[in-house]
Amino acid sequence: MPDLLTWASNPARRRPLLRLLVAAQVLYVLGVAGAGYATTALGQHVVLATTPVDPRDLLHGDFVRLRYVISDASLNQWHDAAAPRRRQGVFVLLAQGPDSLSTTVGVYPKAPTAAPGQAVLRAWITDVYRHSLTLRFNLERYYVPEGSGLRLEKAGRLHPLRVHVGIAPWGQARIERVEDVGAVRK
Amino acid sequence: MSRKFLETESPGWVADGLISEAQRQQLLARYPTDAPTLGLLPLLGSVLVGLSALSVVAANWQALPAALRLALLLGSLLGAYGAGAYFLRRGNADLGHGLIGLGLILFGASIILVSQLYQLVGYDVSGLLAWVVAGTALSYVYGSRLLVLLTVLIGAAVQTYCVQVLGSFSYATAALVAAGLGYYWWRRPAVVSSTVLAVGLLWQAGLLVAVLHAKITWFFVPAMAIYAAGDWQANRAGARALQAPPLVAAYLFMFGLATFGETDTYANVLRPPLLPYLASLAAVFALSVAGKRAHGRMNTLLDWLLLLPGFYLPGGLPLAVATLVVLYAHAGSVLARAHRNQDSDQLTLGAVLFVAATAVAYFKLTWAFLDKSLFFLLGGVLLLGLSWYLRRRNAQTLAAAPPALPTEATDAPDAEASIHNL
Repeated sequence: MPDLLTWASNPARRRPLLRLLVAAQVLYVLGVAGAGYATTALGQHVVLATTPVDPRDLLHGDFVRLRYVISDASLNQWHDAAAPRRRQGVFVLLAQGPDSLSTTVGVYPKAPTAAPGQAVLRAWITDVYRHSLTLRFNLERYYVPEGSGLRLEKAGRLHPLRVHVGIAPWGQARIERVEDVGAVRK
Repeated sequence: MSRKFLETESPGWVADGLISEAQRQQLLARYPTDAPTLGLLPLLGSVLVGLSALSVVAANWQALPAALRLALLLGSLLGAYGAGAYFLRRGNADLGHGLIGLGLILFGASIILVSQLYQLVGYDVSGLLAWVVAGTALSYVYGSRLLVLLTVLIGAAVQTYCVQVLGSFSYATAALVAAGLGYYWWRRPAVVSSTVLAVGLLWQAGLLVAVLHAKITWFFVPAMAIYAAGDWQANRAGARALQAPPLVAAYLFMFGLATFGETDTYANVLRPPLLPYLASLAAVFALSVAGKRAHGRMNTLLDWLLLLPGFYLPGGLPLAVATLVVLYAHAGSVLARAHRNQDSDQLTLGAVLFVAATAVAYFKLTWAFLDKSLFFLLGGVLLLGLSWYLRRRNAQTLAAAPPALPTEATDAPDAEASIHNL
């Protein structure tokens, strides 16, 4: 009876199988990199504002901790009969405002359909309060590229940053760049 | 028997006339000094060189251009696999498997670091699921204990990440580890990987119970399903190795219940709906009994004593007494089995369990009535007396044992037998 284990552990097959597995792994890693480029090329783009964070909390080695304005949502924006639960995965419907910054339209337990000019970003509920809830987007860490010239650790303390986020059609999101608008205005 | 033992003891054997000097030389020649210890030095050297290279790269990681970072990751991945295959062809299995394991670790590191490089957020575990798939496939191809161990660890780590960061349980990861490595265990039940696999699966079961916010006692349904799988395994040592972790978990739970469970506040969080819980546990029990019957292992049936759902009893004295009775019955069953099999490890284990049950009984039932100093005195005397009695009993049994022990029950390695025979 040909069974998988005997088939796979046959020493004669070892070399071709290892080549196949290694090639698949290399392709997979390249695919992850490709998904990064594709998100920028094919995805929607939104601009999110951050709120200042505790400076001691800001710089963690290689990355900067970001806190978004849309991380706080009012319970009025929750669109479900059931009450929101902590750690629940949710979908945030975003609409672009006049200053090109996106703000929350609603928070949904299932993916809503986005009208033109709107985008959907996935998030997790971190805390539920009486009138509001806080969200986590997994976009809270920005790995600062060396020599980017951004003094984010200083800037984020004083005024909001603008974070450009790309959202791929398949739902992945990435920070494309972080802009220090406050510094330009001054 | 180690070479060192032979070297120190054999002159005495010659002096006593057990063997001749020529035979001693023959014996020594039969067990040559371990050569591979010398091979360790270049390995350690290369590990140090590798670490220095790693820290140079890590220190400058953020400064490197993206393409170079990608190339570095893929280059080390290919290098590790290539070197692993090379050493395996040269017949150095340990180093070869180690390097292939390193390649597997580098694959996961590459997925994580490349996602980080592009600031990419994954919303499901599919990115890391590929890691578990790769680990399972490599385990199948190389049949190496190290790779199985790594894959179980990777599966547990991916599941933990999924639960902690993404807030959901990845059924795909659990199914892949359970089915992929479970099938591997079914065919090749080597002792160590069986225990590791069981612990890894228990970890995932625990995470599932936590994610579902279910009563923690539900944990024992998947745990005992793992145990029941062991009953169907034809290889007895492999079966017991897989069954040990669920049994240890069940024992610790029963022990905790006996020690802390008498207040109803604890007991309340333990009670799942009676019928569904008992029905699922009974289904697993039936499966287990059928397996035991098919392989002639009905003597281990009393393991299931530990799963008696005593927590449905009202908290307080009834619960305390019931759990103590169960602990005593279980210790007794282990002792009885040990006497039947004349297995010294099991006897020791049974004695320890018996003493533990006595200690709990004493603590629970007499604390309120006795003065503290008297409690310690009586408790100490009771434990000493019991251990003396069991030790004597133990020695008598072994002295009465025929020289050739029944091998079937004791073919697990000695160091682990005490756990496996719980």
